[in-house]
Amino acid sequence: MTELQNPVLKIWQEQPVEGIKMSVDEIHLRAGKFERRIMWRNIREYVASLIAVALFVYFFATTQGALSRITFALFIAGMLWIVIQLHLKGSAKSMPAGLDTLTSLRFYRAELERQREVVSKVWSWYLAPMVPGFVVYTVGYAVSVPRPLAWAGLALMDVLIAALFFWIWKMNMRAARCLQRMIDELNAATE
Amino acid sequence: MSAIEAIPAAAAAASTQDELYREAIETYGAALERLARAYEADADIRRDLLQDIHVALWRSFAGFDGRCSLRTWIYRVAHNVGASHVLHQRRTRPQALLGLEELENLPDANSGQQAADRSHALDRLLTLIQRLKPLDRHVILSYLEGLDAAAIGEITGLSAGNVATKIHRIKSMLARQFQQGGEDHD
Repeated sequence: MTELQNPVLKIWQEQPVEGIKMSVDEIHLRAGKFERRIMWRNIREYVASLIAVALFVYFFATTQGALSRITFALFIAGMLWIVIQLHLKGSAKSMPAGLDTLTSLRFYRAELERQREVVSKVWSWYLAPMVPGFVVYTVGYAVSVPRPLAWAGLALMDVLIAALFFWIWKMNMRAARCLQRMIDELNAATE
Repeated sequence: MSAIEAIPAAAAAASTQDELYREAIETYGAALERLARAYEADADIRRDLLQDIHVALWRSFAGFDGRCSLRTWIYRVAHNVGASHVLHQRRTRPQALLGLEELENLPDANSGQQAADRSHALDRLLTLIQRLKPLDRHVILSYLEGLDAAAIGEITGLSAGNVATKIHRIKSMLARQFQQGGEDHD
């Protein structure tokens, strides 16, 4: 039997279709919406980081005392480091068009693995850069306000910050496990 | 290049992109609909998927350099959108995907009367395809669209030997499931 006579191919190729078409104008509109959504998402991320940097710059410029200035300088450096790392590591790479199936699946897997690495190392690039600022702030405050009650408040604040850091780390570890599950599923679906 | 020269060049590129899109839909519009049906059973979600395929195709033509045929390019882009859809849907609708070798060993759920009914046969064929892993799904869909082994290899990136093995399995599975007499197909 030739391929053309194969009844299954005939059933497949002769199945009724709705003839759905999109005009070029509709395509432009939809593609434009998609691009604007991506652009606004990127703008939101950078604006939030820049607002935080601007606040630290304001505090740095208006505060008195060397230790306070060092504190805010460290926070600014930490924030800038995080923004740069977000830019370098955080942006999802879009898949080049027209890749064959095997290459596109490899690309998708590599992207998931890269994202897993980013979130699993959140401590080193997202949390650690802010630690020096908090340490100097704690020391500076303890030296400048030598009262046990103030120290107790300071200790409580440090505990809360440590708890926040721990929570961010846990959330990212959870995200890393989720990404690992997706990688495992992808492996199972493509092996 | 000056800005004045760049504007017509950009306009020409956009026009080529639109032309390629029109040509693709004119020639392969029906095949893309069939392909979307193989990736999504729900009619509403399928319509969205088909629109995503159209947009992905139009966007892709900005980078089409003619190093492969237009047909190969269209199938690559469309299949990749379909595969990506399947992998995302698995997060909300987990379902074990099978390889061709596993599908080949499925018990034959066929009866003579059912096989004679084209609509029922199409439904069963779609059910079988929708259970396949992305790569095997690309191969069977390309086969059903009547592409030869070389074209399937170009679309999927599989070696000629791998494509031949998979096509052999597809023919054997289809023959068993649709009672065509598998020996005639090899």
